[in-house]
Amino acid sequence: MTPSSATRPGSLPYLGYGLGLRVEHYEALLANPGKVEWLEVVSENYMVSGGLPLVWLDRFRERFPLVMHGVSLSIGSADPLDEDYLARLAALAKRVEPAWVSDHLCWTGVQGVNLHDLMPLPYTEEALEHVVNRVKRVQDVLKRRILLENVSSYVTFADSQLTEWEFLAAVAERADCLILLDINNVHVSAKNHGFSSLDYLRGIPVSRVQQFHLAGYEQGERLIIDTHNAPVSNAVWDLYMEAVRRFGRISTMIERDDNFPPLAELMAELEHARALAEPLLQDAA
Amino acid sequence: MSTLQTIQQQMLQAVLAERTLPPHIVLGDDIADASSRLDVYRHGYRIRLRDALKVEFAGLQCMAGSRFEGMLDKYVEAHPSEHYNIRWYGSGLAGFLEYAHPWREKPQLANMAKMDWAISTAFDAADESSMGVADLSAVPPESWAGLRLTLQNNLQVLECAYNTDAFRRATDNGSKRPHLRRFAQPRQVLVWRRATTVHYRRLDDDEWLVLGASIQGETFASLCARLAACHGESAAMPRMVTVLKRWLEAGLIRGWDLA
Repeated sequence: MTPSSATRPGSLPYLGYGLGLRVEHYEALLANPGKVEWLEVVSENYMVSGGLPLVWLDRFRERFPLVMHGVSLSIGSADPLDEDYLARLAALAKRVEPAWVSDHLCWTGVQGVNLHDLMPLPYTEEALEHVVNRVKRVQDVLKRRILLENVSSYVTFADSQLTEWEFLAAVAERADCLILLDINNVHVSAKNHGFSSLDYLRGIPVSRVQQFHLAGYEQGERLIIDTHNAPVSNAVWDLYMEAVRRFGRISTMIERDDNFPPLAELMAELEHARALAEPLLQDAA
Repeated sequence: MSTLQTIQQQMLQAVLAERTLPPHIVLGDDIADASSRLDVYRHGYRIRLRDALKVEFAGLQCMAGSRFEGMLDKYVEAHPSEHYNIRWYGSGLAGFLEYAHPWREKPQLANMAKMDWAISTAFDAADESSMGVADLSAVPPESWAGLRLTLQNNLQVLECAYNTDAFRRATDNGSKRPHLRRFAQPRQVLVWRRATTVHYRRLDDDEWLVLGASIQGETFASLCARLAACHGESAAMPRMVTVLKRWLEAGLIRGWDLA
């Protein structure tokens, strides 16, 4: 794949190399931010009335550029959009003034029940139209374009007419939103469904990608399980380099959700990402 | 009903009730059959909800011991989550323990769950300022009889028939699990947040008498009259001063007005 110089729609900034902010690393990160250039906060953790979470949020907001990453928008659910959730998200965005707001291309519940999981969608024209309309509504409320992240998936719906990457690309183009490309999730889904992760990258429009996630997984008996609880695997590092070659300079972060190591280990992973990406970007320049 | 809605409802039931999906919904292949694929979601759902409850119910875990995991499993099976934030999933646990067999036979468990939940909700309740001793000096001496105190909205009082607070304290301090003890008379435990720290402590009987009255909007004269009925006229005012000073120092009072 060749580096692309395609211009990106909109004017969201390039933030460099960052980390997902987790309680386990609050104090260490403030004491020694190292080369961490920005932080991604989980929106729902701060959609609260008051108390310590917002105190910490304000402390980090003073020191780092922040982006907001949600897990409960449920953009693909057949239920109506949760307007209360949306209002709270908008209020948090007003407080934080993040560089951008993201969530996942998935559904998390239906019939008023929440599964608290990133459930995959059937890749159909019906689902596509449904998601596009809802993304437009969300972007109207937030008064900004959002990023949608590809999720790891374990099931394929018989009704699907498109590949996952065709569906993601179509949502981004029709709704005029951006893409948070989780490199680990591409790898996990590729292995679990037997498709080519390179085909996936080639199917994503360069101009829509605003952010990369890097994370780790667990090898299950038959399937790879996206646990985000392990170091980034060699296979994902390889795919990351392919992604850098295709998409160019993209804000990149390590996302760890469990089995938290000392902050220094995540910083070392982040530096590894930088060490892999920068020579490729300089070659392409 | 749309195809999307049908698929999502069937997936929901496949995860919640561990039902088999109709074969035309999800495909299996050489890598894994459809059932194995659905199991990832079924397993993940239960793990996530249990993990969320463990974070919120530290005292209950201490009190229930080896029964804790089984208790959570039953709650997860009986109660689908209805809030977008998994942190709120525990809001129904105390109620569940009050009516579900066999835990309803041990009311200390529901009581412990209520206390854990009170601490959890105080943690991120709305911020409020608190008054100090100097703020009360603005009240003219002749107006004290009609003084009404406004207490923090995050303040909660729990009636405890057992020493539930000792179990939570043991967890918070990393100390030895206490023995369960039933009080001769139920005691009140106060839970509140000052700045960013959640506190809890038992109330003395007479302190609860005037705190409860204050929550109901009774005046300072009325509070003093209640203490006089307990301790006699001469002891009432010194005791009221002691209690009021303690409330101010703890940040329980956010304002006042005059009746």
